Amino acid sequence: MPNIRPATWLLALATGSWLVLLLGTLSQGRPLLGLPPDWPRWLLLLAQGGFAASVFLYVRLQPDALHGHGFLPLLRRLFWRGLVLTALMAGVQGFVKLAAERALPLPGDATAAVGYTISLALFIILLAQTLYVWRSLVNFRGSERLQREWTAFELILGAALLFQLLVWHVPDLLLLAVIVGLGLFGVYLSGHQRWVAYLSQGQKVQAIMLQLGVLGFLSAFLFVLRGAQHDPILLAPPTQQAFLVLTSSFAVFYAVAGLLVTLFNLPVADVYEQRRAEILSLQQLSQIIQRGQTAPEIYQALFTSAVQTIRADAALLDAQPQPTELPGASTTSLAHELTPADREAIRGQLMALQVPDQREFLDNDLARSQRLTGLSRPYGSAAVLPLRSSSHDYGMLVLLKKEQSGFDPEDLSILHTFTTQTVLSLENLQLAQEARVSQRAQDELRIAALVQERLIPKRLPTDNWFEISTYAQAAKEVGGDFYDFLHLPGQRLAVLIGDVSGKGVTAAFHTAQMKGIFHALMQPNPLAKKERERYPDPHRFMVLANEALTHCLERSSFITASFYLIDYEAGGFSFARAGHCHTLYYHSIKEEVSYFRSEGLGLGILRDASYGRHIKNQFWDYNPGDVMVIYTDGIPEARNANGDEYGEDRLAQMLSESFYQSAEEINRHIRQDVQEFSKGLPLHDDQTLLVIKFKSAQPQG
Amino acid sequence: MKVTAQPADSTLTLILDGELDASSAVVLDTELNKPELLKYKKVLIDCQRLSYISSAGLGVFISHLQRLQDANVKLVFFNMQEKVFNVFEILGLDSLMNIAPTQEAALAA
Repeated sequence: MPNIRPATWLLALATGSWLVLLLGTLSQGRPLLGLPPDWPRWLLLLAQGGFAASVFLYVRLQPDALHGHGFLPLLRRLFWRGLVLTALMAGVQGFVKLAAERALPLPGDATAAVGYTISLALFIILLAQTLYVWRSLVNFRGSERLQREWTAFELILGAALLFQLLVWHVPDLLLLAVIVGLGLFGVYLSGHQRWVAYLSQGQKVQAIMLQLGVLGFLSAFLFVLRGAQHDPILLAPPTQQAFLVLTSSFAVFYAVAGLLVTLFNLPVADVYEQRRAEILSLQQLSQIIQRGQTAPEIYQALFTSAVQTIRADAALLDAQPQPTELPGASTTSLAHELTPADREAIRGQLMALQVPDQREFLDNDLARSQRLTGLSRPYGSAAVLPLRSSSHDYGMLVLLKKEQSGFDPEDLSILHTFTTQTVLSLENLQLAQEARVSQRAQDELRIAALVQERLIPKRLPTDNWFEISTYAQAAKEVGGDFYDFLHLPGQRLAVLIGDVSGKGVTAAFHTAQMKGIFHALMQPNPLAKKERERYPDPHRFMVLANEALTHCLERSSFITASFYLIDYEAGGFSFARAGHCHTLYYHSIKEEVSYFRSEGLGLGILRDASYGRHIKNQFWDYNPGDVMVIYTDGIPEARNANGDEYGEDRLAQMLSESFYQSAEEINRHIRQDVQEFSKGLPLHDDQTLLVIKFKSAQPQG
Repeated sequence: MKVTAQPADSTLTLILDGELDASSAVVLDTELNKPELLKYKKVLIDCQRLSYISSAGLGVFISHLQRLQDANVKLVFFNMQEKVFNVFEILGLDSLMNIAPTQEAALAA
């Protein structure tokens, strides 16, 4: 058997029942199709009941036409269907009348019977349509209980169809009582008019019109059918009185109730509309937030929502620039109906309020309070709201209304909800941004630390005429300290120490460059005539390094460095200082600790030949037992909890306490004191400390 | 840090207040980058309230040194605290930049 949908069965059943009903009606008072006249009453009632039941069930099977809040489209569709059905009915009735009056060659009573049957069918169709539109409306936002009640109502309507079929002789009083009881049930269901609250003012007016239309169609049918039943030329068969009365009275009553509810809702519609606008604005705001939009979009959403919801006559929103820059945020300034001069006046007057808390107020009488004066148009009331979280100030929102007492507490509370939401989203945005920045910074630091770690010489030069001890500690935001040694032929030692300005990857990069320059310049010159000239002297080293750096150091960066060329055979060293910390020295013969205070300009500051004039080559003859302390500014500039600097004096003091010890012990003595000094504080700059102690040469081996 | 500009005739005085570190160096750089700066004969830097200067802060002055020199604008520092002066001195900038003890001396320089 082919798979036929129930709807098709119902349509077939409806058509069949209607045909039986038509024939039964025609059979009243005359024989038909060779059958006896006056078909039995139960057959007619059954046919009518079958038709009604199948039409109702068919409509019931259709998917619920109510989508979301589309009440008006639903009513409009019902209206148009009602109009078509009524027009058809009017056409049929007109034709019947015409047939009767003009004495068309048609059997008058038969025409009336056919017209009546068609009209009855149209009426039942209209009732079914109306009932199920009402069902959608009744059940809108209804509870489960209400749905059960509705189903019960439908079952009772169905039972009413059987009612007249089964009970042959119902006492009128009982029938009346039952009908009244069921009618009351219908009245109770008609009370469910929640949907009306969801209409705007304009929609309510339309809804009233449409409901009036539907009522009109129902009345037209009732009028015509009632008239037809009393028509002398029509031998009216019995009708499904109970069912029709029940259904049509419910349909009419629900329409009337809806009409009244809508009518009485009209005056308060604007309140509802405002609330709805608020809800929509909030939704819009949170959607923008969820989409992770930019700061200007969030500001714009707040501004639009606030102005529309509060119906402000003028408004201003100024964003506050943030330390962690939200792209585009600092430039955001939105105005509504305000001239540039007005904006400046408002900003000035608000900024003049010293206490930030005073910059939040609701003033419903600006004329008397003399606040926000001097604007191009007079305003009666103002609301000023800061966009502030516990940690940040994101700007402020100013709303103005022409009338006095323009803002009520409700407005303020809604505005607070808006601003809180906005601040929350801006904060989220900022946190995300900060997380990105900090992630990048951490990556950079890791790279910088890695580079610096690789650049530190892993093996110290050793010889029998000196001791070297090194200490290097990188700060968290790795700076640009570096040092290097090179053991040259002929018992000579080249020492370089320096500090690149800046921090992080850039500094690490320049450190690497400096190391490369050092090793490149310390290649023996094959053209040198004398052994001593095979390597550049410190002055020349600095001039060449400065020239090399000129091409790769950005303009605001510079490098401080000290370069020493120690010659054991000559018993002395030459050195040059390019803006680097002064060398601390222990003089064993004079038994004195002092700094070599020499002049010398940092590398990369002067980028032409004149640099050479700012660098001096110095010589020093050392004695065994002398100690040289070379360091970067992280040592003397180490700070304690009070913010005091460690200082050169204390450094010198440390050397005078420990000069007799080994290089390693001297180094440890100094660094322990520095660490003690800034105990518990994070390193704010790299610290490098080299100690070189000269010894009498021990016989080798 | 706060930077206050005080223009007077052919002299612009920038008053520095606070610590000149990497973050505040940006503010100073913006100020020194203004094209109208080159209209003055002299730019005086009042360092009385400058309590600290980092290498980034020095870098700002160093990067503008050549530009000001080319435009014949004299850059003079005055009222420098000893600690700050030490930083200039160690780096060798005292031989390169005009550092005057007082405002009068700076104006006369």
